[in-house]
Amino acid sequence: MPKLKIELDVNGRKISRETDAYKRLLDFLRDDLNLTGTKEGCGAGECGTCSVFVDGKLVKSCLMPVAKASGTKIETIEGLAKPGDLTPMQKAFHKTGASQCGYCIPGMVMAATSALRQNPNAGIEEIKERLGGNICRCTGYTKIFEAVELAKAVIAGDMPEDALNEDAVGDSYIGHNVRRLDAPSKVSGRLRYAADMKMHDMLQLQVLRSPHPHANIVSIDTSAAEAMDGVVCVITSADVPDDTDGFGVFVHDQPIMARGVVRHVGEAVAAVAAEDLVTARRALSKIKVVYEEIAGVFDPEDALKDGAAIVHDYAPDNVVKHIPVRKGNVEAGFANADIILEDDFSTQQVEHAYLEPEAGIAYVDADDVIVVISPSQNITHHRHMLSHILKKPINKVRFIMSPVGGGFGGKEDMIYQGMLAIVAMKTHRPVQLNFTREESIIASAKRHPSRVHYKMGLKWNGEITAIQFNMLSDGGAYGMSSEGVMRKAAILSCGPYEVHNLSVDTTAVYTNNTPSGAFRTFGGMQAQFATESMMDMAAEALEMDPFQIRRINMMKIGSRTHTQHTLTAASLDRCLDAAEKESRWENGTPNVRGDKRSDLGGDDTRAPCTLGARFTSGKNSDKERVA
Amino acid sequence: MERKLQGRGMAASWYGIARTATIDRAGAWAELDDGGTAKIVTGVTEIGEGILTLLAQVAADELGIKPSEVTIGDNDTARSPEAAHAGATRQTYMIGNSVHLAAREAKKHLFEQLADHWDVEIDTLQSFDGEVWSNDTNLRITMEEAVGICKARGVVPVGSASFTAYGTGLDPVDGSGSPWQTYVFGTQVAEVEVDTYTGEVQVLGIWAVHDVGRAINPRGVEGQIEGGVIQGLGQALMEDYQTVDGHTTTHGFAKYILPTSLDIPQINCTIVEDPDPLSPLGAKGIGEPALVPTAPAIMNAIYDAIGVRMKSLPATPEKILKALKDKVPGREMYVQNARKQRAQAHRT
Repeated sequence: MPKLKIELDVNGRKISRETDAYKRLLDFLRDDLNLTGTKEGCGAGECGTCSVFVDGKLVKSCLMPVAKASGTKIETIEGLAKPGDLTPMQKAFHKTGASQCGYCIPGMVMAATSALRQNPNAGIEEIKERLGGNICRCTGYTKIFEAVELAKAVIAGDMPEDALNEDAVGDSYIGHNVRRLDAPSKVSGRLRYAADMKMHDMLQLQVLRSPHPHANIVSIDTSAAEAMDGVVCVITSADVPDDTDGFGVFVHDQPIMARGVVRHVGEAVAAVAAEDLVTARRALSKIKVVYEEIAGVFDPEDALKDGAAIVHDYAPDNVVKHIPVRKGNVEAGFANADIILEDDFSTQQVEHAYLEPEAGIAYVDADDVIVVISPSQNITHHRHMLSHILKKPINKVRFIMSPVGGGFGGKEDMIYQGMLAIVAMKTHRPVQLNFTREESIIASAKRHPSRVHYKMGLKWNGEITAIQFNMLSDGGAYGMSSEGVMRKAAILSCGPYEVHNLSVDTTAVYTNNTPSGAFRTFGGMQAQFATESMMDMAAEALEMDPFQIRRINMMKIGSRTHTQHTLTAASLDRCLDAAEKESRWENGTPNVRGDKRSDLGGDDTRAPCTLGARFTSGKNSDKERVA
Repeated sequence: MERKLQGRGMAASWYGIARTATIDRAGAWAELDDGGTAKIVTGVTEIGEGILTLLAQVAADELGIKPSEVTIGDNDTARSPEAAHAGATRQTYMIGNSVHLAAREAKKHLFEQLADHWDVEIDTLQSFDGEVWSNDTNLRITMEEAVGICKARGVVPVGSASFTAYGTGLDPVDGSGSPWQTYVFGTQVAEVEVDTYTGEVQVLGIWAVHDVGRAINPRGVEGQIEGGVIQGLGQALMEDYQTVDGHTTTHGFAKYILPTSLDIPQINCTIVEDPDPLSPLGAKGIGEPALVPTAPAIMNAIYDAIGVRMKSLPATPEKILKALKDKVPGREMYVQNARKQRAQAHRT
């Protein structure tokens, strides 16, 4: 590979290195200089986690070829403060709790630092606009805004420096705003996530993924890839014991790599371990897979039809799981209703979009223990499944949970750890796999999309007499968490209301779409979106305030839930009271009265966003460019 | 019609804490260590929610030291007791209580030695923020000295605990069962502005009220609520993973649109504390419940503003414009009246 001589200044030190010409500034910082505080989140300039300063300008280092950086002055997160120290901005992030998973935070601190360097008097609208190129998936940005405003005040001398210190404790640490203990390592970029870890003699793994949604694998020829200089091994399902291959949170229907058939685009088919990443990537194109495409099924309603393509032989009806909940007498409940509302609702498939793409390392230790380090949300279950698949005693498989750069349920599935373990066993060398963003998006589970048919009967006084609730959900190609998601959706379905007569069915089906799995609320939001929409529609029909209709039906101590569990505690009354009071809610029927309300636009709302705040702030604005 | 219209909506919600329809368990080990510090080992690592800080607070408060003096061991199946998975809004409830109980046992061993050493009743002993004392006496030493005395008497103050949450499976026919031993409730109000020319919805304010049992770290609870609200807002208005015949058309963040700093409403959090009676800490959880009511509250607010009910998420500008175009004036009331009539017919 062609080499380049690079000379530049990084964090105040002159660097002169020969490096590969293909590298981006991001690769040079991370791989050549071991400055892993600069993270890769998307590799396309869209998320901002790789933000650095180039000659004082905020730049996404994944978009800059390293050759272009030669002769510049680079500043990274590691260079903002001396080792062991933090800048006022970093201290403010620590104080306000602005870091959660922390993966976006080095980039966010760079963008925030840039904002105040460009304009130390920036107002909140300008600050928001200057942070607009950086995505955070955990915090909801609110504590980040607070941190930037605090740092601004301290730097300007409007607030004392000790405003950045932790609040003094009272008589208990319970209920006290202890600053996050992990924040200093996150705001300084020191915390190493799995992709930041390096081991001596470590191989890089790359995965060949299915281009087809549903196809039989006729043959896989890995010989040309294996013959390449630098390739150490190529693995396929032939390297996994066929009688134990299978993982999943509820049903073990997913092989480590596709076994004879691919069921969704992006499914792992083979993997190459090589001395370096580029060789492993190049070797993928030398693997010859002959596919025989077969009919697929892409809509959950189609999946239930006679003659639909069958995704898994064990489930000829394509049903992953159906959960019924019955209580009381629904027919009698509807007969007793004064009004019946019936409608349909749908929610979409949603990507977790944690800023840290999947990554991991595996090695075999001196005691013959297979060790997997990854941001897994469920190492206990992963250890169980992998030891079973590999036919090893459970104490010979060890999972270590690396810092998780956002999970939200998306890192509960063991979609790549098995491949790492097999390569480690075959080679007895450490091996690392870091997903690209595109790979993460096509290979990892999503939030279940849902279609709900809803029928609700009520008395004129607002009391719900019966609910019929039917949810159909696309589980995609593998079971993953579908069973649990359907169960939770069914249990929570009709909302926090005591309904005496109900009939609930939730069903997830297999299709050849990207799998659906665990995602924060596990079916709870899809179900309650429908219920809470129906409650407002009912309130309008009955000419009631939305709080009132909810109070009439809400669960209280002693209420029996949809699954007939008698509650010994219930706090919805307090939540409704507090929400009504804190929001200064103006009572009334929800009949499109927005233009008549007097409770809008209070101090506890923001102004609508109007783009261009940074250009009206004056200083430097006409010649400034933010890359 | 004015170009920009505002409105408000609300939604309530409920949620269960820890694993669903099954027994849940978590283990922890604790040791009061030299220097008056502590080690806590349990199978958990931060996924961003702040659990490490929370566990340090719980251990510190029970042992009587500072959170910064607590070291939490890494999550490692070969080196730490099982605490199972990081999900299901179970970390504070399951692992928090487990750490609390393990710390309590370690402290008990220390106090037994110290009570004997000082010749006082064990229940006169207290500790907080690095000091140990006996009530109604002048006996007061640092935790560092107390651990030294305990060890000089031949005892290492260690503890271990397992915490259990008793959920039951659901009946396969009628679904009856007690899936969780504790539930949380919440309510959110949303205020929106809809641009009827572009179809764009801006959320201007969210009032989020959630019962968390007991807020161990109120700022951390707010952080979870704010993050949950914004994920809910993303799902409500813009996020949409799409496939065509199984091939995604949203394969990066240029196509898969996420909320950024310019989309963020003012979020006003109110924490309700209804302590859980079934666990020593009284805390419940907040991770997942925070985003449940956000999308319906926003859809109800959009209806309040422009009179179209968005029943299919996300409510993108394209869908809003189409709904406005298809809207017959008074249609919703017409539909509601029809419903009333249908109900009337149904009754007679």
